[in-house]
Amino acid sequence: MNRKSSDTPIEKTTLIGKRVRKPDAPDKATGKTRYINDMVLPQMLIGKILHAGRPHAEIVSIDVSAAEKLPGVHCVLTGKDAEGLRFGFVRDNVALKNRVRCEHDEIAAVAAETEEIADRAMALITVEYRDLPGVFTPEDGREKDAPQIHDDFPDNKSLHFEFRHGDLAAAEAASEIIVDNVFRVHHVTHCCMGTSCAIADFDSNGKLTIWSQTQYPYNYKMDLAPALGMHPGDIRVMQPPVGGAFGSKLDVYPYEPIAALLAKKTGRPVKVMFSREEEFRSSPTRQPAVIHMRTGCTRNGTLTFRSADVLLDNGAYTSWGPTIPVVMMRTTTGHYRVPVVHFNAQAIYTNNPYAGSFRGYGNVQTTYATAQQMDMLAEQLDMDPIDFHLKNAQQSGETTPQQAFLRECALDECLRTAAQASDYSAKHRRYTLAREQQGRYKKGIGLASSIHNAGGAKIHKSDGCGTILKVDDYARVTVITGASEIGQGIDAVINLIVAEELGIPLEHVTIVNDDSDIAPWDVGVHASRTTFIAGNGARRAAVKARQQILNAAARMTEIAAQDLDLRGGFVVREDCGTKVIKLEKLLRRMHFQPEPELVMVTDYYEPNSEPEGADHRSDHSAAYSHAVHVAEITVDTHTGEIRVDRITSAQDVGRVINRMGLEGQIEGGIAIGLGYALSEEMQLEKGMLKNPCFRDYKVLTAPEMPELDLHFIESNCAEGPYGAKGASELPTIVIAPAIANAVYNATGIRFFNPPLTPEKVARAIWDRQQTETGPSADR
Amino acid sequence: MSDVQNYLSPHRLDDAVKAMAGGDTTVLCGGTDLSPQTDSGLREYAGTLMNIRRIEGLSGIDLIDGQIRIGALVTVTGIGNSQLLDELAPVLVEAADQFASDQIRNAASLGGNICNASPAGDMIIPLLVLDAVVELSSWRQGTVHTRQVSLDEFFTAPGKTVRQENELLTAVIFDQPAESFVAHFRKSGPRPALEIATVSVGIGGRLENGSLSGVRVAMGAVAPTPLRARSVEATLEGKTLDAETIRAAAVDAGEQATPIDDVRASAWYRRHLVCVFTEEVLNDVLEN
Amino acid sequence: MSLKTEISFRLNGRAVSVTIPVTMKTLTMLREVLGMTGTKYACGEGECGACTIRLDGRTVNSCLMYAVDCDGRELVTIEGLKTENALHPMQQSFVDHGAIQCGFCMPGMIMQADYLAQNNPELSCEDLRRGLEGNVCRCTGYTKVLDAVTAVVEARR
Repeated sequence: MNRKSSDTPIEKTTLIGKRVRKPDAPDKATGKTRYINDMVLPQMLIGKILHAGRPHAEIVSIDVSAAEKLPGVHCVLTGKDAEGLRFGFVRDNVALKNRVRCEHDEIAAVAAETEEIADRAMALITVEYRDLPGVFTPEDGREKDAPQIHDDFPDNKSLHFEFRHGDLAAAEAASEIIVDNVFRVHHVTHCCMGTSCAIADFDSNGKLTIWSQTQYPYNYKMDLAPALGMHPGDIRVMQPPVGGAFGSKLDVYPYEPIAALLAKKTGRPVKVMFSREEEFRSSPTRQPAVIHMRTGCTRNGTLTFRSADVLLDNGAYTSWGPTIPVVMMRTTTGHYRVPVVHFNAQAIYTNNPYAGSFRGYGNVQTTYATAQQMDMLAEQLDMDPIDFHLKNAQQSGETTPQQAFLRECALDECLRTAAQASDYSAKHRRYTLAREQQGRYKKGIGLASSIHNAGGAKIHKSDGCGTILKVDDYARVTVITGASEIGQGIDAVINLIVAEELGIPLEHVTIVNDDSDIAPWDVGVHASRTTFIAGNGARRAAVKARQQILNAAARMTEIAAQDLDLRGGFVVREDCGTKVIKLEKLLRRMHFQPEPELVMVTDYYEPNSEPEGADHRSDHSAAYSHAVHVAEITVDTHTGEIRVDRITSAQDVGRVINRMGLEGQIEGGIAIGLGYALSEEMQLEKGMLKNPCFRDYKVLTAPEMPELDLHFIESNCAEGPYGAKGASELPTIVIAPAIANAVYNATGIRFFNPPLTPEKVARAIWDRQQTETGPSADR
Repeated sequence: MSDVQNYLSPHRLDDAVKAMAGGDTTVLCGGTDLSPQTDSGLREYAGTLMNIRRIEGLSGIDLIDGQIRIGALVTVTGIGNSQLLDELAPVLVEAADQFASDQIRNAASLGGNICNASPAGDMIIPLLVLDAVVELSSWRQGTVHTRQVSLDEFFTAPGKTVRQENELLTAVIFDQPAESFVAHFRKSGPRPALEIATVSVGIGGRLENGSLSGVRVAMGAVAPTPLRARSVEATLEGKTLDAETIRAAAVDAGEQATPIDDVRASAWYRRHLVCVFTEEVLNDVLEN
Repeated sequence: MSLKTEISFRLNGRAVSVTIPVTMKTLTMLREVLGMTGTKYACGEGECGACTIRLDGRTVNSCLMYAVDCDGRELVTIEGLKTENALHPMQQSFVDHGAIQCGFCMPGMIMQADYLAQNNPELSCEDLRRGLEGNVCRCTGYTKVLDAVTAVVEARR
């Protein structure tokens, strides 16, 4: 007790796996955070967009003269102001159109002093259209006499993907059971709570600053530049806090170049922000598709082949949506051990809204098919599904037909954990038997799994992330990272990693990642990559800084660097924790010594994965991961309502870094997946959205959220930071087929076309009763 | 961009109805319907915008001479929290509990919900079951004139009622239900409450010895206006509420419904739900 | 141009007088006239709850509420919960439980959660879920939101 507290040794502890708060949460909780939607700049004008409101038409004439004359209007732009400025994945888009290809096509834009004036100006624009016959399904789009949507894309053909491995005919012949189904997955949209927004401003040297919600700031410059006829180097991207993204901000959408074109024309900052209705109508969607899938197995339950023939509804333009087959084929080839695989996907232009990327990116759609076919095969085999899954589950060290190397594979453990925690097998048998009995409410249990890249995905030339780390004279650390924060919590992860390595309090780490002129390159927040890639980057930078600090301490104290450690703001002896020098004191000494040194390090982490490549045979991610969901539900067979009672999730996360953040990602991912499974649907009628509001587009609310039982399987990924793998997409991917399998278990009815709305379920049950009992008089 | 020339916020009813005498008035109370309807262009403002929130005497729930009178300004939360209604007309409390969200219940007024005349209006169905009348006030010959219209005859089309432009709905009135009166309400929706009822069913009557009399059946979102299903009432009147009667009533209810296909549900599903709910509500009534 | 009128009310404990168009909504007044951007626009139709504020003690959607109706009343927004020295216990609980990701819906969610917890000391899990049904969150799946509110309710018991 006499001992001074300053002499107390500091024990070695770790933050890895602890619950860490998001550093920006207090400001968000108090309304202090200035989201892009809240921003107002001096002299800022309000930009508004006139959307076509029809799916396919020629513009006969457009008259903006009255709008231009309205006091307070600074400029009105039309298609002629964006002519030739083609942008997009295949350069099929322009910011302002001379022809209408989908409902939300941008026909004119206004910049005005106030929103009210801009609205009045919009009403003064007269456009004469000549409507054209449209294409609203991919099947119709590939008909010989189908209306052509783009002159330079004959037969309405957009992207095509193919992968073949093994002799399909031989594998089919060797199969004793084959399931063959067509799944039709639907249009849904992200519903970010903060509506789309951009603010653009040019300086007098012609450099553009754009405040953006983008989740990929560096390639964003490259993609935005052609829409403006600019050099990407002349664009600075600022990233204020955003109200969600979920993949929707992984491309350039017309409102962004429009804001810039208006800013250029007026010489003033211009803000364009969507209303909720515009958000529904004009945002990207998840990619709808028609998936014809066949899977075969032998009588003893060994998978023999899988084939998928996919027709994608491209929509009017090509964003990231039609590229999802890159991931779809990874699931087709890698979801369980399938020796022979054929995959073919064709995207067809239609006059529907067009798809971008959305959390789960193609895997949500594919797993809806693969995971249900696994359930169907197990039933035909009369095998407990869990046994069938285990029999075909890959093990560590296996390689998929596309050359994905499953270095640490925990599918087996995920399956066993989820099944055991939910008592899956016993319940599955019990509910199957109860299906035939009387009763309005039917219980069901369904299991589904999937595989996803968990160490980035090298679909660009680089999958890397740059980090700059500096430590000041007070032992406060600034991490300048390329990684974007869109609510997912990379800020807390980096804080934790840096605090772990440098032995300082979490609050002493500041992250700078909102300015492309400051922060170094990163591919963006996508592909469940950020904790893995940016986490590795932050760790490597912190280790370098740590080494520099320990070396300096060793020189000053004559204790070997390897015998020193950083704990609690001190340099301590590794073995006993005895304090050697206060860290900030050491840093000042380093700085102010005759040969001064500052601690500032850089790191560029590029995972050791291989580029996707044209033949799609590559180890394109530095890690792969699996998740298993078991859904327990109750079906009201009269109203068709599905109540989700409980979800058990077992996911290979490699290693837990920030437990609280990880739980939040899994819980939120499941909620989005549940909406996809149960209620969310963009109802399109000839390309026109009929439900552009939360009243009729039903996202999940608190009462519908089931109880969750989350299990983290730690497979300790050799490449990941502290063993971690990426985690945030799998929960969205796996849940819908788990629900569909549970509904089958409860009712004996398969649903190939989500969402499983009450009406759809009630109708299917009703139709079955009619065929079983013949048409009856009542009802 | 409104053309409102005049804004009024009267404290007295006579001032309010005097101001409405010339018509051309948009009545504002909670704003929960007016706001989205004017924002979307579905409805335009008249020359005068009159906020009736501060009019005295329209915010009470009272039992007077065997009649329950609910002032037009009472919020849905006010109905949900009313002990008087919980004792005497619990079906209203039941419906209030299922009405939209907490925030909307706190703002939405009973008068507004009725005058909005949605075929799905959540408070209208239980009030039809209670055989309520609405009180309409207007300025006539130097005084406040009132007339009563049966709620059953109040609605003419979606969003349309028999209320004249110079009339203000000031109260809803119904007879205190008999001791033996039982009523229940059921509505649907993929989201349990924040939902414009795909369909709703309310049924009430005097339950004596397992049979119903004085039966009233009302259905929402199955016709252009909230509907009293007279033939279902006849099917049930005086009959023992056994499985067969309940079944027959359900089938009849489905036949009475003339719903439409829209973005929320198909006509088939609405009719199907009417049958299911009728059966369910009758079972609830029986178990009361 | 739109007819304007002057109104006076109390906002987070302070007297405010402001002249606004008679058809302006409270949300627009807060954000664009008074610069109080803590309260969010996310749907403008009363369907998502991001704009939830307290009016005379009860929560309402400020996007539906006419600003003129604030006259003479008492408003509390998300900015009004925090004291000089500390976050409000509900705000702190949301932070501590990891209930905040993008956070855009949270001002409204926290206002509604605080209203529920204050209004009903016996708030059950079911009451809580029902009470939050007018608040949409796209990030969290509500699980941590429910944890955060439950912790506050339990601490008060």
